[in-house]
Amino acid sequence: MTTSVLIVEDEPEFMRRFSDAVLADAGLSLVAVVSTGRAGIAMLDAQAPDVMLVDLGLPDIDGVEVIRHAARRHPQCDVLVVTMFGDDQHVLASIEAGATGYLLKDAGAQRIAASIHELHAGGSPISPSIARRVLARFRVSPVPAAPAQPETSSPLTERETEILRLTAKGLSFDTIGELIGISPHTVVAHVKKIYRKLAVHSRGEAVYEASQMGLL
Amino acid sequence: MRGSRRAGMLAWWLLLRRLVRVALLPACLVGGSAQAALQEPRQASVLAAPEIPRTPPPPAAAWAPVSLPDDAGYSRPGRDKMPAWYRIGFDYPDDPARQAQWAAYVPYFYDGGDLWLNGTLVASVQENTDRVYARTYRPLTAVFPAPLLRPGRNELAIRVAAPKGYPLRFPRVGIGPQAETQPLHDRRLFWTRTVPELTVLVSVLVAGFVVFIWWRRRNEVLYGLFGLAAALWATRTMTFLIDAMPMAQWEWWRVIYQSATGGFVVVMAVFTLRYTGVHRPGLERGLLVYWLLGPLSFAIGGFAAEPFVARYWLGGMMVVGLLIIATSIGYARRRGTLTSAALSAVMAFAVLVGVHDYLITWDPRLLGRFLPEWVGHRIHLLHFGSNMLLLAMAALLTARFLRTLSSLEDLNRTLETRVADRERELAANYARLAALEREHAASEERQLIMRELHDGLGSQLFTSLSRVERGDMNDDQIASALRSCIADMRLALDALASDEHDLSAALGNFMFRWEAQLVAAGVRPRWDIDLPDDALTLSPHAALQLLRVAQEALTNVLKHAQATQVQVRLCQREGMLEMDIEDDGRGLGPDPPRQGHGMGNMRSRAQRLGGALELKSTASGTCVELRLPMSAATA
Repeated sequence: MTTSVLIVEDEPEFMRRFSDAVLADAGLSLVAVVSTGRAGIAMLDAQAPDVMLVDLGLPDIDGVEVIRHAARRHPQCDVLVVTMFGDDQHVLASIEAGATGYLLKDAGAQRIAASIHELHAGGSPISPSIARRVLARFRVSPVPAAPAQPETSSPLTERETEILRLTAKGLSFDTIGELIGISPHTVVAHVKKIYRKLAVHSRGEAVYEASQMGLL
Repeated sequence: MRGSRRAGMLAWWLLLRRLVRVALLPACLVGGSAQAALQEPRQASVLAAPEIPRTPPPPAAAWAPVSLPDDAGYSRPGRDKMPAWYRIGFDYPDDPARQAQWAAYVPYFYDGGDLWLNGTLVASVQENTDRVYARTYRPLTAVFPAPLLRPGRNELAIRVAAPKGYPLRFPRVGIGPQAETQPLHDRRLFWTRTVPELTVLVSVLVAGFVVFIWWRRRNEVLYGLFGLAAALWATRTMTFLIDAMPMAQWEWWRVIYQSATGGFVVVMAVFTLRYTGVHRPGLERGLLVYWLLGPLSFAIGGFAAEPFVARYWLGGMMVVGLLIIATSIGYARRRGTLTSAALSAVMAFAVLVGVHDYLITWDPRLLGRFLPEWVGHRIHLLHFGSNMLLLAMAALLTARFLRTLSSLEDLNRTLETRVADRERELAANYARLAALEREHAASEERQLIMRELHDGLGSQLFTSLSRVERGDMNDDQIASALRSCIADMRLALDALASDEHDLSAALGNFMFRWEAQLVAAGVRPRWDIDLPDDALTLSPHAALQLLRVAQEALTNVLKHAQATQVQVRLCQREGMLEMDIEDDGRGLGPDPPRQGHGMGNMRSRAQRLGGALELKSTASGTCVELRLPMSAATA
C-alpha cells in the first residue's frame, strides 16, 4: 500500500520538484498538486491524504491555516511543512498548528521522499534551534536544572526533555540514541510526540478548544 | 480661608466696639451728672501743714479755700509735699424718696488717709509713712451710714497723707447715691487696675512666646527685640498693681521700674530702626549708652537719684520717642503701604501719650490749659499706647511670618514644578538616548549584515556568475556553488538571528548540519566541545566569524583532504577561545599553501577578531588552529 501525498505549493518550480520526487518513488502516490490554500483544504476534505506537503507562503490564505484545518479535521494526515532555511519561527508556528515535520526547500528528490516516509512511519525531524524553541515554549531551560528542583510543571516527560536538550546541543539522533540507549527511530518517534504536545498546548489550539466548548 | 478671615475681622471689630463703649461710658456719666443727684463740688477748704491731727480740725482752724481737683504743686508751691485735710460740703435731700444709699467716690487717693463724715470716720486707705510706701491706683468708694447723714448741709473731711516725691494731688470727689457713684468707681478701677493686670499677663505670655521663637531662630533679631520689649513692659506695668510696699523694697523696685521704662523705649527705638531697615550701629550703641545712664545714676546717687532719673532721664526718652516717630514716618513715606502708615501712627500715638503721662506727672498745668477737666481725672495713658504698640508689633511680626510662610509655599510650588519639568526633560532625554542607542545598534547590525552579504554571499555569487558566464562550470559545479551560497546564508541566519546571542545555540545548528553532510561524504566527524554551560556569550558577529572559519575548514576537508575522519575541538582556556579542526587526510605536502583554499579569508577573519590562525601538517593529516582572545570576541 502506497502513501498518498497532497502537495500545496504555489511556486511552479518547486511544485514540479516535489511532484517529481513523489512520482519517482514507488512507495508514494500523488493525490493532487494545488497552488492555493483553499484548494488544499478542499482536496484535504475530498481525498484525506496520508501526508500533506505544504508551503507557508500561499497566495490566498496562510499555510498555517491549512495546517490547522488538517490537524483538526484529518488528524490521521501527517503534515510536512516546507521551509526555506528551517528558520525556527515559521516551523514552530506550523508545529503549533499541527505540523509534525518540516522539509528544507533545497532538499534533493531522495531526501524529499525519505522525509515523507519517515514522517509517515512515525518519526519527526528536529534541528537544534527548533529544539531550543520547543523547550522555551514549555518553559524548560535548555540546561538541566539542579536535581533538587524537578520540573513538574512541564507536560514533557523526562525522556522527551532529555532528547530536546541533547538535540539543542547539536547531537545527531544516532548519538542521542546511543547516549540514552534507544534506537534512532525511537528518538524521532519521541520528537513527533513532543510536536503533538506542543500543538495541544499552543495558544491558538486552546482558543479553538474553548470556542468549541462554547466558552468564547 | 477668606470666610474665616472675614469672621475673624468681625470678631475683632465687635471687641473693639465694646472696648470703645466701656471707655466712653464714664465720660457720659460725668457729662450727665448735672441732671442726677450726684454732686461733685468744685469748692472745698484745705488745711496743709507739716504735721496734721488724726481727727478733723475744727472749723476755726486755718482752713484755706481751694478748688478741686487740687494740685498742691500749683496751689501751695512751698507746702506741696505736706499732708493735708480737705473739707467738702454737700447737700443731702430732705425728700425721703431720694434718700437712697449714699456714698462718696474718690477717683484717686494715691497716698492714703481717712475719710470722715460729719465728724465720724467712715473709710481708711493705707497711708504713706516713713517705712511703707503706699501709692494705690485704686479708686475709693466710702459708703455713708444713713444715720450719719442729715437733711441739708453735710460735711466730708478727708485726711491725705504726705506724698513722696510728687506734689499732693486731690481729685474732685463725687458724692451721691451709690447707684450713681459705683459705676464711676468700677470704670476707673477697670482702666487703672484691671487693664494693667491684663497688660502684665498678656505681655509676659507674648514675651515668652516670642523669645522662644527667637531662641530657636537666632537670626530673627526682631522677634528677640519684640520679646524683650514685651518683657520690659510687663515689668514696668507691675508698678500699677502695687498698692503698698515696705520702703526698702520700694526703693529697689523704683530702680527696676525706671530702668524697665527707659529700656522699653530704647528697645522700641532699636526695633523700629531694624524693622524699617535703618542700619545705624552707632545710633544703636548711642541709645544703649543713654539707657545705661539711668541705672548708672542710681549707682552713683543711690535711691535719692530717683526724682532726677524720673524727671530728666525719662524726659530725655521723649527725644528717643521723637526719633521713633521720625523713623517710622520716614519708612511709611518710603513704603507708602497701609501697614507702614499704621505703624507710624501707632508709634506717634504711643509717644504722644508718653509725653501726656510725663506732663500729667511733672507739669499738669501745662496740659491743664488745654484740657482742664481731663487733667483733673489724672488718667495715665501710656499703657494703652504701649499696649497698642505691642499689638502693632505683634501684628507686624505675624504679617511678616505669614508672608514668609506663603513665600515659602510659593517657593515649594515653584520647586515642585521645576522638579516635575526636570523629570519630564530627563525622561524625554532618556527616551531620546534610548532611541539613539537603538538606532545605533540597528545601524551597526545593518552594517554587519551588509558586510556579511558583501564578503560572503555576494563574493561567492559574483565569482560563480563569472565562472558560469565563462563556461567554466558544469551543472554539478553550479549546483555545488549555489548550495555553498545557501549554506553560507544558513550560517549567517543561525549566527545573526539567534535571539540568545549564544554560541552553543548557533554551534548546535552548525554541528547538526555538518554531521549529516560529513557522514554523507564518508567522513566520520568527532565533535569535542568543551565550553562552560553558563554563558559563552559571543557577539553574533564574532560567533559568525568563528563558524565561518570552521565551515571553511570543513569544506576544505571535504573537497581536498580525502579524509575519513575529522575532529573538531572547541574549548576555552585562560581567556582564549581555542578551535582545532584536524583531519586524517593527505596533508599539505612539503610545501604548504600560504594562500588559496580560503586560507586568506580565514586568516583575515581571525585577525578581525584579534586572533590568530595556524595551518599545520600533523603526523596523520592537517590541522587548522584558531586562537581568539575572549575579550575581543565578546565585545
